[in-house]
Amino acid sequence: MNGCTRRAFGGLASAMCLACVPTRAAERRSAPRVVVIGGGAGGATVARYLAMAGKALNVTLIEPKRRYTTCFFSNLYLAGLRSFDSLTHGYEALTERYSIRVIHDRAAAIEPEAKTVRLTSGTTLPYDRLVVAPGIAFRDGAIAGYDEAATEFMPHAWIAGPQTILLRRQLEAMPDGGLFVIAAPADPFRCPPGPYERASLVAAYFKQQKPRSKILILDAKDTFFEQDLFQDAWDRHYPGMIEWLPAQFIGAIDAVEVKDRSIRTAGQVFKADVANIIPPQMAASLAQQAGLADRTGWCPVDPVTFESTLHRDVHLVGDAIIPGAMPKSAFAANSQAKACAFAIAAALTSEDDPRPFLFNTCFTFLAPDDAVSDAISFGITGGKIAITEIMISKLDESAAIRAQAVREANGWYEAFTRDIFG
Amino acid sequence: MIAGMRRFGGLPLIVGLACLAAQPCTAASGNQGAQLAASCASCHRPDGRDNGIPPVVGLDESRIVQSMRAYRSGERTSQIMHVVAAALSPEEIAAVAHSLAGQRPAAAP
Repeated sequence: MNGCTRRAFGGLASAMCLACVPTRAAERRSAPRVVVIGGGAGGATVARYLAMAGKALNVTLIEPKRRYTTCFFSNLYLAGLRSFDSLTHGYEALTERYSIRVIHDRAAAIEPEAKTVRLTSGTTLPYDRLVVAPGIAFRDGAIAGYDEAATEFMPHAWIAGPQTILLRRQLEAMPDGGLFVIAAPADPFRCPPGPYERASLVAAYFKQQKPRSKILILDAKDTFFEQDLFQDAWDRHYPGMIEWLPAQFIGAIDAVEVKDRSIRTAGQVFKADVANIIPPQMAASLAQQAGLADRTGWCPVDPVTFESTLHRDVHLVGDAIIPGAMPKSAFAANSQAKACAFAIAAALTSEDDPRPFLFNTCFTFLAPDDAVSDAISFGITGGKIAITEIMISKLDESAAIRAQAVREANGWYEAFTRDIFG
Repeated sequence: MIAGMRRFGGLPLIVGLACLAAQPCTAASGNQGAQLAASCASCHRPDGRDNGIPPVVGLDESRIVQSMRAYRSGERTSQIMHVVAAALSPEEIAAVAHSLAGQRPAAAP
C-alpha cells in the first residue's frame, strides 16, 4: 500500500472498520491458519502483526492467563515505585480490534507431523504455521533443595505474577537491618541486567524505609552486563549497602535450605532474611517435550525466519531460542516477533520479504531518578545473528541525562506494551 | 500489499484500510518501509501521544529523513536513535520516512 492511498483514505478507515468485520471474519474461515502459543512479549506481538497482515490470516493465540504481568519493569514494583496493576495487561484489544481468537488454555502437546496442537481441554487445533513463544523454565535440580515448594519461601520472581507479589511482601516484612540475598545465574538467562537492577531498586527502597539493611548478590558469574555502570551507581546512591560476590570467590551456588533461608556455595553458607533465588534457565517445558530444544536446553532457529531448525513450519521467538548475539529481553522478543510475522505472512502469500531489522534496547534503573540504556542493532553474519552496532550509557553522564532516560523509560513502557497487547 | 489487493479485489482493500486504523501497512505488504516502520512502534506510540519520547507518526517525510541523517552523523544526540539510523541505508531511511509520513495517528484504544 502506498502513502498516497493512505493519505486519501486513512480518515475513513475507522468508519469502514465496523462495516467490514463480518466480511473479514468470513474470509478468515478459509484463510491460512497460524496458531501462536504464548501470550507474552514475543507471542502476542507475533499474533498482532500477523493479524494486521495485508492478506487476512486466521490467527489463534493460546495463553493460559487471562491477564499478563510483565517481568520487565517489575523491579519498580518491588521497590514500591509502580503498582502491580500497572504491569498487568489483558488480551481484549487483540480480540476486539484485531479479530485474533484468544484461547485461555494450556498447550498440552505439539504434533509437528500432523501439524496440530492439543490443548489441556482436549481440543485439537490444526495449523499451517505454528509459532511457539513459551518463555523460560528453571533447570530442575540445578540448585539442591530449590523445588516448586521452595519458591514459596525463597521466591525467584523471575516469571512475573504471584512470585513478584510474594517477594515484595517479604521485603516489606523484613526488619530494618536485615539481609536480602539475590542468587544470580550463569549466562544465558532472561534479562541480563535484571538481577542487578533488582538490587539497585530494592536498595532505593531500603534507603528510604530500612536504611540499616544490606543486599548481597551471590553470582554464578565473574562479570555481568553494564557492571561498571551498576557499581558506580551503587557507590553513589547506596554506599556500603550492596555487596557483590562473584563465582571466583564463592564457587557455584549448590543448595538452599528453606527452613532458615540459607544458601550454600562451594565454600560458604549465607543466611538471608529474604532470599531471591534466580535459578539457571532453559526453554520452557513445552519446547522440550515437543523436541524443539537441542542439547543446550534452548531452541535453535533460522536467523531470518525464526523457523525451528528441528521441525518444519514451526517458528519460535523470545527467551526460549538461541538467537545468536541477541539478549533474552522482551524488546528482543518483540523485534524477533515482527521479523517472524513478516516472514510467515510472506511465505503464506508468496510475497517477497525484505531483510529483517533486528534491534534491542533496554532501559535499566539504577535509582528512581537515574536510568541508563543500551541500544544494539543486529545483522546476519555467517548464518548467525551478530551485533552490527552497540552503544551503552557512559559513566560520566550528567544527572539531567540520567533523569531524561527515566522519562524515556516510562514512555517506552507505555508504547511498548501497546505494541504487544494492542 | 498492492499486489495482494489487486489479486483479491475490492473487499480486501477495505480490510486493508481497517488495519490502517490501528497501524498502517504492516505484515505481508512486501513493503520494506512499512516493515521498518513497524520497528518504530516498539518505542513510539501509533496515536502520537508519546510521553518522554518524541512522536514520529504523521511527521513530514523530509523532516524524518533530515532527523535520521542528523542522528546518524551525531549532530543530534540520542544513542538509541544513532544506532537505529546507523543500521539503515539511505534507501531504507527514505522508505521508513515515507511510511511514517503516510500514517495517521490511530485512535487510542
